[in-house]
Parts: sequence; structure tokens; C-alpha cells
Amino acid sequence: MARTVSTTCPYCGVGCGLILNVDDAGRIRWVDDDPANPSSVGMLCVKGRFGTSFVHHPDRLTTPLIRKDGGLKEAGWDEALNLVAERLSAHRGYFGSFASAKATNEDAFIQQKFVRLIMGTNNIDHCTRLCHSPSVEAMLQQLGSGATSNSYVDFEEASCVVVIGCDPGSNHPVIASRIRRAVDTRGTKLVVINPRRIELCDRASLFLQPRAGTDVALFNGVARAILDEGIEDREFIAARTEGFRDFLAAIQEATVDECAARCGVPAEDLRTAARLFARPPARAGQPAGLRPGSCLLWGMGITQHTQGTDNAHALLNLALLAGQLGRPGCGVSPLRGQNNVQGCGDAGCIPDSLPGYQPYDAPVFARFEDHWGGPLPRQPGIKATDMVERIATGDIRAMYIVGENPLLSEPNLRHATGLIRALDFLVVQDLFLHETAELADVVLPAASFAEKDGTFTNSERRVQRVRPAIAAVGASRPDWEIICDLARRMAPAAGVDPRQFGHATSAEVFAELARLTPQLRGLSHARLDTAGGIQWPCPEAGHPGTRFLYAESFPRGLARFTPVRQAAEADETPNPDYPIVLNTGRILYHWHGGTITRRVAGLMARVDTVPVAIHPADASVAGIAEGDEVVVLSRRGKMSGRAVLTGGVQPGNIFVPFVKLQDQAANFLTNNVYDEQSRIPEYKVCAVRVEKKRERASGPARRD
Amino acid sequence: MRLDGREVEPFGSLLDTILAAGIPLPHLCKDDALPVIGACRTCLVEADGRVVAACSTPATGVSECLTHTGRVTRIRRGVLELTRAMQSGPPSQTGGPCSAETAAALAAHGIEQARYLPRNAAYSDSSNTFFSFHQDACILCGRCTAACQDLQHIGAIGIAGRGLGARITAGTGGPLSASICTSCGSCVAACPTTALSPKE
Repeated sequence: MARTVSTTCPYCGVGCGLILNVDDAGRIRWVDDDPANPSSVGMLCVKGRFGTSFVHHPDRLTTPLIRKDGGLKEAGWDEALNLVAERLSAHRGYFGSFASAKATNEDAFIQQKFVRLIMGTNNIDHCTRLCHSPSVEAMLQQLGSGATSNSYVDFEEASCVVVIGCDPGSNHPVIASRIRRAVDTRGTKLVVINPRRIELCDRASLFLQPRAGTDVALFNGVARAILDEGIEDREFIAARTEGFRDFLAAIQEATVDECAARCGVPAEDLRTAARLFARPPARAGQPAGLRPGSCLLWGMGITQHTQGTDNAHALLNLALLAGQLGRPGCGVSPLRGQNNVQGCGDAGCIPDSLPGYQPYDAPVFARFEDHWGGPLPRQPGIKATDMVERIATGDIRAMYIVGENPLLSEPNLRHATGLIRALDFLVVQDLFLHETAELADVVLPAASFAEKDGTFTNSERRVQRVRPAIAAVGASRPDWEIICDLARRMAPAAGVDPRQFGHATSAEVFAELARLTPQLRGLSHARLDTAGGIQWPCPEAGHPGTRFLYAESFPRGLARFTPVRQAAEADETPNPDYPIVLNTGRILYHWHGGTITRRVAGLMARVDTVPVAIHPADASVAGIAEGDEVVVLSRRGKMSGRAVLTGGVQPGNIFVPFVKLQDQAANFLTNNVYDEQSRIPEYKVCAVRVEKKRERASGPARRD
Repeated sequence: MRLDGREVEPFGSLLDTILAAGIPLPHLCKDDALPVIGACRTCLVEADGRVVAACSTPATGVSECLTHTGRVTRIRRGVLELTRAMQSGPPSQTGGPCSAETAAALAAHGIEQARYLPRNAAYSDSSNTFFSFHQDACILCGRCTAACQDLQHIGAIGIAGRGLGARITAGTGGPLSASICTSCGSCVAACPTTALSPKE
């Protein structure tokens, strides 16, 4: 029967409402927008509208696979799960697991429960380590909560929106539309800070183009300008913050001009940015009596640096200095890249806290152990990037990777591939036999968003329903069901009651998550079905949810200024052999590493080779013309792509999206060095050389 | 107010009030999610004796509204016949979610064949990977351009030319693929004909 199903988009963290139109044959024919969805208000982007056909792709895994005689052979669920149970039991103490920010809250909750209760370790993490771990780290330290403080509607009610180190037009297109609407219809001021020109610059009042790796100098310069002009929010600083004196001392170490020289931005632009952010002119329709607000939105340009946490601190200091928190139309928003990266963390898939970011302390452990009927590990787990690195030291010998493809997403892929190969035992659970799955000992076929029942939590903390629209593909099953099945097989030997994993429905799983997680306690599938998506914190059934945080106080009481100083710009800086700085990021028509979007014909038709954006001056020196095939080399590897000449990147810089196309990917080049606190890799800066690809002597050169 | 002899509570536009009362009325250029355009003139009704477009007339201030008098039905039928004449080609079978609205309005007014000579509207653009544009089905209602400009705030498409020469264009008249179009598909979702239709 043809029917329509209301669900939530599986791509970025905006969390748009999708209405899937499914035909008689059970295939998605058309994806409609959902005007009733408060996060997307009737909008979609190309990926949500035209990019869901991957669920029907013939590459979908339809049966478990087991490695036999060197190859992956089809197997039944019993055989595969018994093997996994036996081998994982033998690796207790040397085990780590990646959860998936693409799976549901229910999947994530069951997975961390399995890792903690059955495997007895906190070695569980997910891709937040690679995207916003510095933001979360800095926000937890300074504010006491790691989530976005406001809602998308605040971008439209702000008088100034500052977009830093992200390209919403490519990765969060519906957010970009809401920002454009604010600028076009309300006169909202837009400030873009990015080392390369992005599309939103067309609407910007001010575009700052700093040198890569100088964000702290830039933000400290803006802070100094705010203080020089006396436009800081003294009342807010006195009533709501601590540590201002130390911060002031640190800021006074450098003048605006000195900071400007360090980051390569005109000093006057830093002063303009300071005024626009701290005291923006009121937008059209600003309610009388309400101070015009400013929003800070940021992405990986802040975080993916060896000083990523410092960058986030410097940025949050600005929000505190200007008092731009806790009112409508202001706040801090780390734009989340994946559909459920917020929820995966909320559900406890992080190594240093339990669901709901509850700390490892005695009362919390007591409550969880009481509910789960078994002892929980006390020692904080190993973070995702370190799990991979510590395969080399033998600390990690077996891994269970759900819905992630580290051999596309880790930096320095050749190095990472060597490590993953060295594992004694690897289980991969996913939709496709991707680069990591090809090396697995057991591959388990998982259900996609279109076959699943559950919830995603988007970037504005809105918990939304995911509903099954198509029949199961082959023998694939929802992640939580697979893990429950496995856990029941392992429970007796682990001294755990198998009924701890006896959930019959995903609604039951959510009920347990809500019971154990204070900010979700008021939610249930039934309530979300009736009311639509609700924003946490929602502590009780009658609570309407929370549009913005910190109206009265911060979770840690007072917010804390954290002085930071500009450190070395990057681990690796250009030299005569590698004279160019490589910056990585996203493009509109592909999704992250490309495991999904490579399997959507229309998206591949738009972009089928990796574009290498290079400044015309650098291109001319290297003899490169628009459309030429170029080779990019770093100390770690090389890749080829198609040259795009643009003044949008600065001379001496190139930009390459990290999607893998034609077996070419930027992560063969990137540097596996990490921010000390958050352990995020420095994807955003490494030194490379760009050459025009030499035509082979034999055979004609390929031209498209 | 009195609506077709019934006492109703006015709210929003006359069109809002009429549709809420369950009275069928074509409204080919009015999208739920978008501001009023007022281009298609297919929602003409009589309000206190005057013929007005229901979508752009506030309901408050009208004391009597009649939707199906002989006079207004005749005028609406005339408008729809002109609308039909804008479509020169045979209606294609596949379209977006609203693509049947025009055909349904024509059928409801008993219009099968075009009474006027069709205009010359042969432009088509299949350069976008995900959808195509065929002018021969386009009624120039403006919903697609409103979706592009007022919903997504992209402004990739607009209406260029006037009179018989008017058509939907991308940018300054080139193909969609060479414009700033981001392929979000909001135009396809809004189109009340098969002029903008998803590719298979």
C-alpha cells in the first residue's frame, strides 16, 4: 500500500522533519518537507529531499558475514552472534566500542549499557570526538553543560549572528536558510569568520578571513576591543560569572592591533565585530525592552585544531563578556554535524560520564547499579581517537564498531588502517561493507533510519521520532535489537540478568533511558507522538521542554571565564617542501566520508571527484588550470582531485572536502596529532604540496 | 460573517475562512507555508457584492461572502480556461506532491479542452540532476519562485519577461545547473502542475 510516514532526516544535526512517500512496492518515491516540524519549518536540503535512496541500494548488507579462509562468508544470526559473544568474552579488559551518531537514542543507550555492564569497561565513544569534543569540554568547564544553549528560532530573533569556522550552506543548509531569512527580512547583522569565503558571505555585514590556527588571537582581539570601548556587560559579568579578573589580565597582554597582526585581519574589522556582537543595532521587530541579542554559531573550524579546546574557551569568553546568553535571540550553538550526535552523547556513549552526562560519582553509580543489577566500571574509558592509537600498545585488541567508518574519518588513514588491521577481533555493524567493515572478522547488517523505530535528538536538543517506512532489508535488524540479542547471550557468564536486555520495543528502551536521565524524564514515545518533538531539559511529564538554557543560572552556578593565550598555529606549518596549508571541510552534495552519499546516484552525478580549491595565484605558479587533475601530497600520504580555482581561499591555502570519491580522500593527508584535552585530531591544518598530475607516457590522458 | 448563507467566524483571509468551513475553492498560487501571491485569480469570490481574490482579502470587514453564485463561478471558469490555455503540452503523469491541484481545479469546473489557442511555451530545462522544468505545463502561479525566495531565501529562480513571453528562469536565463540553485526541491514541492517535476 502506498503511504506516507512522518520521520526525521538522517543527515545533519538540524533534524528536519521528513514525510516519506512510499509506493506500493515499498520504495521511497518522494520526500516531502514537514511545515509542522518546528526545527525545519517546511524546509529541506538536497540531501534530505533527494538523498535517501541509499536505503534501497543493492550494496545494503542483508545477512551477517563471518571471516573464513581469509574471506567474508554469509552466516546466520545465531552463528555470528555466538562467535562474537565467545570472542568478545575472551577480550574483556582489552575492548573498545564506537557507537553511532547516525543511529537512534535507543540504539546508543543499549550499546553503552552493553559495553559497561557486560564488557565491564567505559571504553565507549562516538564521532563527537572528531567534531565537537573541544566545544563540549569547554562548555562543561565554563557553563556546566555541553549542549547548544538556544534554538534555531533564536537565530531569527537575534540582531546579530556570528558564524565561525563552519559553512552552514554546505552542511546545515536549512540553518543557512534561516540565517538568510533573518538578514533579508529583519535586517539582522551577519558576521562570518572563516579562513575561506563561504556562500553566506554574500549576506554578511562583515567577513573576517583569519590565517589558519589563529582563532584565539582573533577572539582575544575582539574581547580587547569590547573592553577598550567599554561595551562589555558589567551587570552580567558581576552577577553571573567568575574569574573575570584573571581573564582581564590575560586580555590586556595584547592590544587589538597586536592581535590583528597575529591573525591577519584588519584591526578595524576586529573592532567592528566587537561592536556588532556586544551591542548590535536592534533588528526589525525587536521587542521593546528586550536587549538586542547575538548568537554565536560555530563548527569544526574552531574545534579541529591542536588548540581546539582553547579556541572554544576564547569564543565562550566572548559570550560571557558581552552577556549574550540566557535570553531570546542570543546564545551559543556548536552546530552538530550528525543527525543524532547530540543524542548519542545524551544516551551515554562517552567514556567519562553516564547517560545524561551524569558524573562518575558514588550516588550516580549506586542508582545505575541498582537499576541494572550489576557492578559498573569506575575508571574513565579511553577516548575514540586514543582507542585507535592504543591498538599499537596492545591496550585495545578487540573492537565493536557500530555505524562508523573510522577508515574514512580518522586522520592519516594509512596509519589508521595499519592499526585497525592489527586488532585481534573486529566486529562492524553497519548498512554497507565499507572500508572498516572489509577488515572485520564479523559484519552484522543493521537497519537504516527508514526501517527503524526510535528517536533522534537534534542540534537544538529537540528529541524527535523516527518511524519505520519500509520493510526490513534482508536479515538486517535495528542496532538495539542486535546488541540486546548479543548481550543476552553473554549476560549469564557476566553475572548479569539477561532480562536487563529483554526490551520488546524501542519505546521500552526509551522509557528506561528517560527513567535514568533527569533531562529526559518527562519524555516518552507516546508523548512525542502526540506533541511532536520536544526540547530537553524536560524533567517531568507536564514540562513543555526548554527553548533556551541559562535564563536564571548555569548548571555549575556561575559561568567561568577561562583565559587562554594564542599557542603555535598548528603542529605542522608550511616549509619549502610542503608550502601550502590544507584545510578540510564539507560540500553540499556529499555527506562526510561519503559512505552514504556515494550510494545516491543523483548526488554522485553532481560531484564525482574530490574538488581541490586553490587560489589562482598558487595555481598559476604550479601551472594548474581549472579542472586539471592535481595531486596533493603531505608527509603522510597523497591523493588526487580536480582543481577548482577560486579567490575564496587565501593564497598559500587549499581547501579539500573530506569525502572519499574515486578512492581519493583528504584524510590520507591529514595529521594524526591531537588537542591535549579533548583528543580531537588536527584535521584543519597540515602542510601539503600541490602538483599538476603528470600524464602517463603510455596511453592517452583521461579527460571527462 | 455570512458565508454561503451560513454564519461563520472570520479568521485570516477570506480563503482561510472558506477552506476552514470545508468549502472547496481552487487556490492554485496559494501555498500553506508561503505568503500570499495573488497571481492565479482562481479563488475569486463575491464579497459584499464585489468580486475579489479570497486569498488576498482579509476576512474581517466582510459581512457576506458568496463562493458559488452563477456570476462568480462563470468568472472563475473563465480564469481557469485561460489558465488551461497556458498549458500547451499534454499533462505529464508524474509530478511533485501538489502537481494534481491544477488538473483537479480544471476538472471541478468541467474544463477538459483548451478553448483558446495555447501560447508558445516550449522551453524546458533538464540540467538539474534531481528535477526538470517544462514550460508547457507552467501556469506562472509563482509558487516556485516564492518557495525559492521567501521560504529558502535563495532566489535562484524568478519570472522574466512579460505577457506571453513570461517564463520561469534561473538567474539571468541560463540553465538551473549554472545558477545558485542548491537543489533543495522546495520549488518542486510547491508546483501545482507538472512543470517542475522530480526526475525518476
